[in-house]
Amino acid sequence: MIQSRHTAQPDAWETTMSKTKETGEPAVDRRSFFKALGAGATLAATPAIVTPAAAVDPGKEETKARYRESEHVKAFYRVNRF
Amino acid sequence: MARMKFLCDADRCIECNACVTACKNENEVPWGINRRRVVTINDGKPGERSVSMACMHCTDAPCAAVCPVDCFYTTADAVVLHSKDLCIGCGYCFYACPFGAPQYPKVGNFGSRGKMDKCTFCAGGPEADLSPVEFQKYGSNRLAEGKLPLCAEMCSTKSLLAGDGEIIAQIYKERVVKRGYGSGAWGWQTAYKDNIAI
Repeated sequence: MIQSRHTAQPDAWETTMSKTKETGEPAVDRRSFFKALGAGATLAATPAIVTPAAAVDPGKEETKARYRESEHVKAFYRVNRF
Repeated sequence: MARMKFLCDADRCIECNACVTACKNENEVPWGINRRRVVTINDGKPGERSVSMACMHCTDAPCAAVCPVDCFYTTADAVVLHSKDLCIGCGYCFYACPFGAPQYPKVGNFGSRGKMDKCTFCAGGPEADLSPVEFQKYGSNRLAEGKLPLCAEMCSTKSLLAGDGEIIAQIYKERVVKRGYGSGAWGWQTAYKDNIAI
């Protein structure tokens, strides 16, 4: 007679999924494991949602005028007039 | 306030590509991309014209309008710059720009493009002026040194002008008046039409 694995080896199945044979204490339950995983993922995603978008907001230092009519620039304008 | 502009005198450009080479060397532009290019029309035929093209630092820049992360900003000199820290390499600016200025030096896995790279008018980026980080990301900051973009300064025929828009427009106008003929002369086509040979 063919039996399923679950019915054929109930002790082994039980040992693997919920209890350790030696101590008899419950191991990590499959459902609670996934429940905890889901809760962790939710917590990890929460800060990403509430963090404001980081668009570039250049201050006065970044956008200040750097051009100045130095002698170098004046020489450029002068020679280009020919 | 001076507005920085490029102006290429097409009657003088000889397609030597020195501006392209100077830009690549000065800013250590990576392999495979050019921040500046020389475009030639009617190549090898009578009436051939070349013009040196790069970012035109538009007043209402379309690249900035389409950027989904808003990484572009305009300086007080009217130079359009961008932050490579924010750029996500989506490529929208490449499609929006009518001059093909934005370039993508890196080709990654799954079509990722890396950070966009473009002409900075030799004005660096958002990092501290003349810092090694700024140079590594954006190239040299000649404006902060009291100079102008090297492409224009190196131009052997003085075809490419750069600097204060009002001054270089005045220089170009003087040239056209002195030349007194050709495409640039005011009213030439009105007076002589297109079929007058010089």
